[in-house]
Amino acid sequence: MSDEPRDATPTAAAEADPDVSDELGDRLSRFREREISTVLITVVGVLVFPFIFNNFLDGYTQLATLMLIWGIFAIGFDILLGYTGLLSFGHAVFWGGAAYAAGIFSASVSSQPLLVLLAGTAFAVLLAWVVGFLSLRRGGIYFAILTLTFGQMAFYLAASPLAFLTNGENGFTSVTIGPLLGVIDLHGGVPFPLSIAVDNMLYVFVAAVTVLSVAMANRILHSPYGTVFRAIRENERRAEFVGLHVWRYKLMAFVISAAFAGIAGSLFAIEGNYVPLESLYWTESGAIVIMTVLGGVGSLFGPLFGAGLYLYIENIVSGFETLGPFWHLILGIVFVVAVVVFPDGIWGGVEYLRDKVTGGDES
Amino acid sequence: MTVLADILTILLNGLQQGAIYVLLAVGLSIILGTLKFVNFAHGALYLIGAYLGLFITGQVPLSNGQFADWGIETYGIGLGFTAALILVPIIVFIIGILMERFVAQSFYDRPDTDQILVTFGLAVIVQELLRALLGGNSQPFPQPGWASGPIALPIIGNFPRWRLGVIAITAVLVMGVYALVEYTDFGLIVQAGTLDGEMVRLLGIRLSRPYLVVFGIGAALAGVAGVVGGPLANVNPNIGTEQLVPAFLTVVIGGVGKIEGAVVAGLMLGTLQVALIQTGYAAWSQVGIYALAAVVLLVRPQGLLGSEVDVA
Repeated sequence: MSDEPRDATPTAAAEADPDVSDELGDRLSRFREREISTVLITVVGVLVFPFIFNNFLDGYTQLATLMLIWGIFAIGFDILLGYTGLLSFGHAVFWGGAAYAAGIFSASVSSQPLLVLLAGTAFAVLLAWVVGFLSLRRGGIYFAILTLTFGQMAFYLAASPLAFLTNGENGFTSVTIGPLLGVIDLHGGVPFPLSIAVDNMLYVFVAAVTVLSVAMANRILHSPYGTVFRAIRENERRAEFVGLHVWRYKLMAFVISAAFAGIAGSLFAIEGNYVPLESLYWTESGAIVIMTVLGGVGSLFGPLFGAGLYLYIENIVSGFETLGPFWHLILGIVFVVAVVVFPDGIWGGVEYLRDKVTGGDES
Repeated sequence: MTVLADILTILLNGLQQGAIYVLLAVGLSIILGTLKFVNFAHGALYLIGAYLGLFITGQVPLSNGQFADWGIETYGIGLGFTAALILVPIIVFIIGILMERFVAQSFYDRPDTDQILVTFGLAVIVQELLRALLGGNSQPFPQPGWASGPIALPIIGNFPRWRLGVIAITAVLVMGVYALVEYTDFGLIVQAGTLDGEMVRLLGIRLSRPYLVVFGIGAALAGVAGVVGGPLANVNPNIGTEQLVPAFLTVVIGGVGKIEGAVVAGLMLGTLQVALIQTGYAAWSQVGIYALAAVVLLVRPQGLLGSEVDVA
């Protein structure tokens, strides 16, 4: 636990000697540390991704969209698990709760995608405040079990007592999504310059939200606030001794991660025009745990890759002739191997290779 | 008269529903209390118990899954239910010991979070392996011949005989474990190790073997729960995770490491659930147990019978 994630280390090392900047590694690491470059990398990434995915990896744009949506969820979850060190087993309540809130809002108040997104996210944040307030009374395993408890409670509430709102086991079917800003049809085509890379307006919308989410997460994690999260992860008691109100920071980490889950959940409702009851079930909480750990806890981009890999195995590998029926088993095995042998996930491996090539950050 | 009969029926059904929770929770609780190990794969042990029970009891037809694709039509060795009741705990005990040696041991020094993650992963593997090989459909688990059909009880009237069997088996097993922990030298060592493992080791007593046995017993109880609980509902790959959550709630409500706490909590949850179903609030029965758990944990975070000092 002693080594910090590389991209989180402050710029001190690179700025110390400005004259010896010829080295590739130095330039790369300085480029990486600027906020604008993180955003640029993400923009390029989401634009190139569907092209590569559709042409070389048997993918299709709808799955690429879902990958980004789950990616946003995973980024938020990592703020809680990777940076603050809290394992929640009930994040489906924010994902599914936001999806239901967004769906119901779209059906009965306004079908404006941006407003729907806002409504779903706001609901997740409010819910997180309550659930977090109650669950964070106990640490360690109790936190995991309490979040799981509230998650399951929400599932069973939505299943029958609240069926008049949620439509019970059939899922919420009356999601209605209007054109974006009143003019852009989300299910329509894409105007010329963009159409080289992307064929679907919904993907562009989700990609834009993804870029914003990455930028937000990056900003939060590089702020003093984010540093406190890491301090709590490393040593909660010491953080308390230097005068930090640990409990309040934990609650905020929980609410922030739920906000990302809310953004993702609302997009999920917008994307599918439908909210399945399973979106609240605890297997969804398990899925986000697997995605985040596979991708690499404690890194900004890792969880995005984890989400992509999970959905790839679930949707593409499951169609393979011999491996197909075993897709979920494969995921489980890969996950256990990751936990035991590669605690830093895929992104940890990527960073290891990068450091090999560039000579490392020497921090 | 009928009100009394209703109440007694609720209590008896609650006892039976709670019995499964208790069997699972006692195992979880002693493992968590003594070894400080969080076992999210406990539900998977229940699942293994149920499928092993099916395998030993009779011939089960396969309609989908890989085995069916490979041309295997049935599985099972048909030794009957009593054999399953004896063999399954032994097999799952061994599985538990292997799990302690090869999985749990290397995680004792790692954070709770890692323990939860790795055991959760194991649970996924077991569940999905069974689903892939044997198919995801529900299999009926026949009740044992000697305990099927109703039995006439005073006041209540007819009551399923097997449900009484579940209650009796649970009572015997839990009392046995309780006696083992409370009244034997083995139990004394385990208790001492729970309080201060370092001190016990300094006295020259090896703790690794008693811990191994504790893990095995916990696993075996989960296995029995699978065999006993199987005939109450159908068996499919999801039942393990479905039982895990209430079992964990039972542990934390009762207080970690407390066998009597697990019994009280399990019966509370079972009775509440049955009471809600039988009084016409079936829709709220699941919500009810989670709400009860949340309330208990908020008012009394260490659990009903738990002491102030615990693993949190």
